[in-house]
Amino acid sequence: MLKKNLTFIGVLMVMVFLIAAPATAQKVRGVTDTEILVGQWGPQTGPAAPWGAVARGTDLLFKIINEEGGIHGRKFKYYLRDDSYQPAKTKAIAKEFVEQIGVFAVVGGIGVATGMTARDYLMENKVPWYAPITGVYEWISPIQKYLFAQYPLYDDEAFNLTGYLHEKLGYKKIAMFYQNDDYGKQGAQGVERYLLRKKISLVAKVSAEMTDRDLSTHALKLKNSGAEAVIMWTMPTHAALILAESAKIGFKPQWATSNTLSDSALMMQITKGLWAGMINSFALELPDSNLPLMVKYREWHKKLAPQERWGTFYYAGIAFAEPFVEGVRRAGRDLTADNWVKAMETLKDWKGISSPITFTNPMDRQGGKHVFYGKVKPDGNIERLTDWIRITK
Amino acid sequence: MFGQLIVSGLAVGACYALLAIAMVIIYKSSEVLNFAQGEMAMVSTFVAFMLLDAYHVPFPWAAALTFLFAILLGIFFEIVFLRQAKDPTVIGLIIITLGFEMVLMGFAGWKWGPDQRSFPFPISNIEAYNFYGLIISKINFWTILITLVLMFILFLFFRYTKLGIAMRATQQNQLAARVMGIRTKWILSFTWAISSIVGAVAGMLIAALGILDPPMMMDPLLKGFASAVLGGMTSLPGTAVGGAMLGIIENLFGGYVSLAFKSAVAFIIIILMLCIKPSGLLAKHYVKKV
Amino acid sequence: MLKVKNIETLYGLIMAIRGVSLEVQEGQIAAILGANGAGKTTILKTIMGLLEDQPDKGTIEFLEKRIDGKDAEEIVHLGISYVPEGREVFPELSVDENLKMGAYTRKDKKGVKEDFERVITHFPILSQRKNQWAGTLSGGEQQMLAIGRALMTRPKLLMMDEPSLGLSPILVQEIFRIIKTINAEGTTILLVEQNAKMALKISSYAFVLENGRIVAANIPDVLLEDEDVKEFYLGIRSEESMKGYQRWKKKKRWR
Repeated sequence: MLKKNLTFIGVLMVMVFLIAAPATAQKVRGVTDTEILVGQWGPQTGPAAPWGAVARGTDLLFKIINEEGGIHGRKFKYYLRDDSYQPAKTKAIAKEFVEQIGVFAVVGGIGVATGMTARDYLMENKVPWYAPITGVYEWISPIQKYLFAQYPLYDDEAFNLTGYLHEKLGYKKIAMFYQNDDYGKQGAQGVERYLLRKKISLVAKVSAEMTDRDLSTHALKLKNSGAEAVIMWTMPTHAALILAESAKIGFKPQWATSNTLSDSALMMQITKGLWAGMINSFALELPDSNLPLMVKYREWHKKLAPQERWGTFYYAGIAFAEPFVEGVRRAGRDLTADNWVKAMETLKDWKGISSPITFTNPMDRQGGKHVFYGKVKPDGNIERLTDWIRITK
Repeated sequence: MFGQLIVSGLAVGACYALLAIAMVIIYKSSEVLNFAQGEMAMVSTFVAFMLLDAYHVPFPWAAALTFLFAILLGIFFEIVFLRQAKDPTVIGLIIITLGFEMVLMGFAGWKWGPDQRSFPFPISNIEAYNFYGLIISKINFWTILITLVLMFILFLFFRYTKLGIAMRATQQNQLAARVMGIRTKWILSFTWAISSIVGAVAGMLIAALGILDPPMMMDPLLKGFASAVLGGMTSLPGTAVGGAMLGIIENLFGGYVSLAFKSAVAFIIIILMLCIKPSGLLAKHYVKKV
Repeated sequence: MLKVKNIETLYGLIMAIRGVSLEVQEGQIAAILGANGAGKTTILKTIMGLLEDQPDKGTIEFLEKRIDGKDAEEIVHLGISYVPEGREVFPELSVDENLKMGAYTRKDKKGVKEDFERVITHFPILSQRKNQWAGTLSGGEQQMLAIGRALMTRPKLLMMDEPSLGLSPILVQEIFRIIKTINAEGTTILLVEQNAKMALKISSYAFVLENGRIVAANIPDVLLEDEDVKEFYLGIRSEESMKGYQRWKKKKRWR
């Protein structure tokens, strides 16, 4: 009896050992003969959920690539996880990606605070991470070998937008309305940096907390500042609230905002048309663009994901994964993290459906440096005001 | 600016007060803090939105149907979840409401998606009335008016109708109420129904003032809770005054002191109130004679 | 009028009533006497249908109808009213509203008005306190309100639990006088009392309850002569108490 038990336990232990043993046969984590494993987190629930469309857009790109036969004989296997915009969850997801799923790379990922909890962990584990979908300095400074940023820096974007308002449109009294976190603050920083250079000061600097739902006081403060133009760096909800509150008290300045609020179809709907007239900077092609790539993606969208709205956030998921895929293509069949990095560093003015991407300088991981300006027409379409403009300090 | 701050403070305070009243009605009858209050209101508001937007139901009918839905939702929750609890403690029941809150949140995200929407309310949230220089937006004006009317109806109901008095009786002494032949279980379901309707009104007003999306009630519910604490969790008039005060204080604080800490005012009020006068602003509580 | 047969009532796993039978005739004032914890209140609550799923065994009939297992609301409707121990008025309802709640199940407005007048004649003080919160009344006034409120249901049988508890001797006299008047006006009364002396004085039949069982039942005149009753409930000691204790033990063995 005892012997039998011992045998059983022995067999069990061998089995456990076999299961638990690291897959030493596999050379590169997340890359097999037929598959490349990629993960992304994004808020599918909670207050930031509208941005969650990005992660679903990436899914469409991988599906398209797979439909077209994959890359060097491998197809993408994509893992999308909901972090509800909560940093603690993001960190857990990053761990899951590395330790349980074993992904080759992470793409995208919305949020500064969320991404920051994962950055060092991913870098320590040499996980390539392409294009966190926020334009803050944290991604490019200090330089991380495996981390590439595409999203234009908020600081630069805001700097340039302010310049556009001041120089091209002649506004002198400019106010800032921003979300009180890294995202909004770096936008405000860019605005102030520009105005400081011109020796002008902001007439008002008003911030809102993520959870705020009543912005009447904020609107009053903006109005009382006498601002002719207001730049806003917020999430969609606050953008809609501040426009409504301002309209209530008869405050009608020229509004201007970042690419983060470029989904004008959504914004027109939630602002009941108040969005019209907005000056917007864009880092992606417009939704109805006739660029051949855009046409192709729109067709696939109809075929593969007709339930999704073809909005800016959705196809941003494509735009922020395209260069990653291009890197994988250039790295060849022998795909490793280092080969991929080398391949990425050959991208020069590479054009997908976002601005031109360049990573040839190994000391600069900021790939996207261009935006163009547009004005929202009363029907919600965009009147393109400029071509791609390089935004630099 | 002062006048504007007061008016918009009153409007948003009115919404806080309604949510707080919805909470207090429940709290008084079962000592349960209903954390699902906000999400119940949110889901009801989405139902109204669906009726208005997808089925093009005229607003009065949509509102009526929404109230019906709110009633059913309240009764459903009370009967299907709370009443099933075996030997319930107050904490246990509160946890159940938390669970229900998450269920509703998940449901709303699944059914209506996370995108923000504008709520098609018959009153414009952009146009304004001009009273001798004091600009009052239509939506603020009507929010305050609707809230006052609803409060007055509630006052009459609890004060003068047999059912209203029976609800108060049940809140105060369940045993005695049963002995009087009052169906206390039924009354409790009814309490949830009324609370749910009041919440739905608050939800629709909040959506009309701002925007409709699943997390829209998070902040107002917290403020509503602060208002309820101002009212000592038991007094309906105290709660109403508390809500109005909170809205105004918050706005004045945001306007003249610091916008960044505007939302923190509610927390500070909760803490101060619980430390200094937990029985609430208009406390007139009888002390049980031994 | 009320027939209780062999009921057993459980409080969780504890059996509080162990096979009690009693009968109340129309027009009577019946009393249940017993020490604290004997199960008097439990009997009333069982009859009233206030204890869920109780009685566990046995039957209760009221006016030839089975009422065990029915809800309190129905039982009130059938004509039983209950004045709970400790008054249990609605503290933050006015005196007026309290009385209104007494008539909650009734639809006959005229009858309600008559009964209201009747309650006011019994307890004139209540009309002076009409708009005051019941919680602000004195103990005696609260007891009057509780009785008045119970009368508002226009009961055929009025059950009262310790109406004299915590009241001054003068008030006790007053309350018992009113109970007698109410009875004389045609309401049958079932009274639970620790104050056995007072209860025996006004009742026409009485039951003695010990540990969930009825140990004696008779008209007051007989019970007043019973040695046990005298010693344990009336506080009259006729023998050495050691002897009494032995007799009590002897009886206990028979149970």
